[in-house]
Formats: sequence, C-alpha cells, structure tokens
Amino acid sequence: MNAHAIAGLVALNLLLLAVGVSILFALRGWASWGQLLRLSGVAYLLGVAATGVVWTFELVVGIPFGFPAIIGTGAILALLAVPVGYRLGHRLPRLPRLRVKPELPRLSLVSAVFAALTVVYLEGAFRAARLAGLYEFDAWAFWVPKAKAIYYFGGFDQQFFRELINQAYPPLVPVLEAAAFYFMGAPDVVTLHLQFWFLLVGFVGAVVGLLSGRVSPVFVWPPLLLMLVAPHVGGHFYHPTADFLLDEFFAVAALLIALWLIDRKDWQLVAAGLLLAAAMSTKREGYAFAASAIVAALVVTTRERRSAWPKLIAIGLAAAATTVPWRVLLAVRHLGGGGPEAGGTGLFSNLDRAWPSLRLALSTVFDYHLWLVVTPLAVVAIVAAFAAGARTLPLYTTLVYVFAVIAFTYSTWAFPSLGISKKPALNPIVRLSGEVVLLTPALVPLLLARAWRRAPQPVGDT
Amino acid sequence: MNDVARGGVVLCVGLSIAFGAIYFPRALSDFDGTASNNSSLSFSDREVAGGNGIVTDQEAVYEARAIIPLNAKYRVVTGSGLKNATYLTLTFVDSWYRYFLMPRRPAVDGRWIVCYGCDVSKLGGPYTIIWQDDDGISIGRLQ
Repeated sequence: MNAHAIAGLVALNLLLLAVGVSILFALRGWASWGQLLRLSGVAYLLGVAATGVVWTFELVVGIPFGFPAIIGTGAILALLAVPVGYRLGHRLPRLPRLRVKPELPRLSLVSAVFAALTVVYLEGAFRAARLAGLYEFDAWAFWVPKAKAIYYFGGFDQQFFRELINQAYPPLVPVLEAAAFYFMGAPDVVTLHLQFWFLLVGFVGAVVGLLSGRVSPVFVWPPLLLMLVAPHVGGHFYHPTADFLLDEFFAVAALLIALWLIDRKDWQLVAAGLLLAAAMSTKREGYAFAASAIVAALVVTTRERRSAWPKLIAIGLAAAATTVPWRVLLAVRHLGGGGPEAGGTGLFSNLDRAWPSLRLALSTVFDYHLWLVVTPLAVVAIVAAFAAGARTLPLYTTLVYVFAVIAFTYSTWAFPSLGISKKPALNPIVRLSGEVVLLTPALVPLLLARAWRRAPQPVGDT
Repeated sequence: MNDVARGGVVLCVGLSIAFGAIYFPRALSDFDGTASNNSSLSFSDREVAGGNGIVTDQEAVYEARAIIPLNAKYRVVTGSGLKNATYLTLTFVDSWYRYFLMPRRPAVDGRWIVCYGCDVSKLGGPYTIIWQDDDGISIGRLQ
C-alpha cells in the first residue's frame, strides 16, 4: 500500500467518472454546471457500469486486457456518447466566468449538517478500508484470483477460469479489479479495498443527486445515514467481492425506474437499463433483481401498458442481452451455467425447506443486529404513502421488496446444500439481503415526500 | 388518512435520526478500531491476511514466491507429516497458494513442490529440498 497505488485508483475512478459524464451528456445533458455536480454520482456509476460491461465483452471476444484496452474503451465510449448528446440537442452550459461566482447547488441547513456527517463517515470508512487485508473466503478463493488472472494473462485464462470455484459467476467485478491493478501498478490486494470505497461514495452521491432538488433533504439524508451506520454495511462495503456493487447498481437503477414512473423521461429508463445490465454482469442474482424491478414497473403501469410496457420490456431485454456473450463463453468452454441445485421440479422434492427458507429470508431482512431498523423504516414509509392516497410508488416499492424476499427464499430453497443459517460460511443470505437495505434510502425518500404532501410532487429536473 | 400518513412520515424521519444518532458514533468507533488494527499489523500479516489461518508458517509462502519461477508449474502436496496445522490447513492450503502464487500455474505434474507434510517418496522422483521448516513444510523441485 502506498501513495502511488492510491493515486492510481484516483486516476482510474476519474476515468470512470469522465466516461460517465459523457454518457450523462448523451442521455440528458445538464442545464448548469451545478446540476452536473449534483448528478456526478449517478454519472460515475453509469461510467462504472458502461465500461465494466464493455470491458467484459472485449475480454469475451479475446481483446487483450491492458492499459490500451482500458483507456481506449473509455475514450471510445466518450467519443461515441458526446455526438449522440449533440444529436439529441443537448448543449453544454456556458462556462462560468472567472470573476463571476460559479453556480453551485444550494445547501439547506439540514443538507449541510447531514452532508458533513456523511463526509466524516466516509473519511472513517476510507481509513478502515485503506489497509484492510483479504480475509473473506470468497475474495481470496475466486473474486480476486480471477482479477489477478486477468491482470497477469490479459484475458479469461482457460486454466484459472476453469479451476477456480464459481466459474459461472459474472466477471464484471474481477474485470474492474484487474483495471484497478493496472492503475495501481501491481496486484495490490490491500489497496484494492479502496476501489470499493470509491463505489460507495459514488452510490451515496447518486442517491443524493437524484433525489435532492425534488425531495426535502429531511427525507433524503436521515434514511441514507441510517443505512450507512448499519453494522453490516460499515463492516463489509469495502470487501473486494461483488455483493455491495450489485446492490449499489440495483438500488440506483430501481430509483431511476421509480423516477421514470413519475416523470416518464426516457433518459431515466435508459440509465436504469445500463445499471441493470451491469448488475447482471456483476452477480447472477442481478437477473432476479432486474426482473423484480421491471416486473414491478410493469404491474404499476398496467393502465398505460401501450405506452409504458414496450419501453420497460425493451430495456429489460437489452440489459439481459449484454450478458449473452459471457453466457456463450461459458457454454463454449463447457463451464457450468451455475443454475440452482434443485430448481424447477426440484423445489417440490425439497418442500420441507420452503417455510424455513422464507423464515430465514424475512428474519435476515429484518435483522436488527445487521441492518438496524432500515427495513421496518421502508415498511412504515410504504404504509404512509398508501395512507396518503398514493398508489404507483408504494405499490412499485412493495412489489420490489416482496420479489426480493421471494428471491432470497428461493436462493435457500433451491440450494439444498446451503444451511438454514445466517452464518456466511453456510448461506449467503446476509450478503443477498443487502439489496433491500441499499434500496431503502433510494426509494423511501420518494415515499415520504408523497406521504407528506397528498398532491404529487412537482416534477423536478431530474 | 392524512394524519396516518403524516404520522408515518414523522415516525420514519424520527427513527432514522434517532438510530442514526446512536449508531453514527459507533460506526466511527468501529472504523477507528478497524483502521488501528489494520495499521498495527506487519506488512506480511496484512498481505497474507486470511492465509494466516491456513498456511501455518508465513515464511513458507514468501519462500515459495521467491523460489518458484514466475512461469513455472508447481503443485501443493499435503500429507500426514505436518505439525501445527490448523483445521483449515489441509482443506484450503492448495487454493490459498493458487491465489497467492499467481501467475505461477498449479499443475498435477508440476516439478516444483510445495510440500505440507507430504510423503516425498510418492512425489514421482528425487526431490531436492530448497527450503524447509520444522513443521514439515518444504519447498523444492523434482529432479
């Protein structure tokens, strides 16, 4: 661990941010530089998602991974995105003159206090992550070895990607970690933890950026801070595995879909599709999570199905299509597809696991010692929104949460080798349940805003 | 119903602030504890990390990395001659070395050997030990 490695990570993440900003320009542009600053978190996550998906595709087709591919891909994405933005009529705002006070987002007292607390939290998180060792079994057994294999051999090495466990797991995280190794100058598995700190910062920025300006800061910041201080979040967000990144991609995608349900701005749906594609390229659970958000949105748009459904279905299919090359590679190499041990009719022969699996899923999602009161908070917010007469948002949120619990139940029920236990060595249910927890600060503020003001919130510029 | 809705909102915000206020200092304290624990470790303790509960002798992993050439094939062979093994050693030592020794490739016919209490007579040839410790771990090469 040294300053050179940290500087390398900063450079990589600036590259990802730059790519994301160009994609944001293509999708929506920005009316002011302050607005771009506010949306920089979502831009960063879009950059991570787009480059991660494209890097994965390049590796599948055999393009050697290295600095030329990493930087070239970013440059090509940016060069493609900018003309698209111009074609769609987006223009850069005028640069602020030196003598003129630059326009920055206004901060209320609540925002200022909670933003300061969040900065203090993130500073502590940085210190905890910067010298962390690689202790988690999954990290040293396959996530990081896959990244090292990409780094050393420039591709999905035949031997290591066959011999390491969980061959069928999607490769976005190892690809991102390999890029981090290049920028750090070595496979520094200690400093690597900081890459996941950057991702958390991006997630926090994305949630705040998408919600601020349209939802009172009183509704945005407290649930976000509550999620951050939950014991399992602080202790695990920096592990170089895929769980938190999956949750971060999905939570912001689900938020963008929720915003699309209110605003019907196409850029929100396209951005959500990009993040869902990245989620599916991050972990297999990404398919279930993405399906849950798309199906929930389909259900709540039944009345407008002629206009809404084609867009939702197209986005879902396009996102899933980005993972086809990886699935083809698995098939060509005769690697297992990673399906459930007892899927389909196998569930019926394991009926005795159904109720314990559901009970485990629910008790994990509501586990105070892991997640404090984050999930009960979401339940109260949903009830409040329903009580205020809102239907679309609370129903959408309810369905996403219910589908999540069903998915968690299935993950234990369909894998009889997993114990009915929250112990990480026996069952990944705790890691899975992070989906619901990271989703809460993304969706709850919208519910609270709808519950507080009976009339729908005026559409903002998000 | 509006009262219920507004009551729910107040409850949500109140709960968030209350639990946030209680757990924020705890989260910072946990970060401090983690950061101090991490910084108090030696470089090798930090680098080996999860392997410390598996490999039994840190020196062995560094010797293996120093002795076995980068492009060489090796194999980890375990046996009953190992002393001071943890309950994780025999199960996971192979996969941990696979992670640590990259880009060296593990192979069943590898001429380089990381022997964890192995029976050297069954290695398939004369075994030249280059490094060994008192626990029955050795690193060497088949002639």
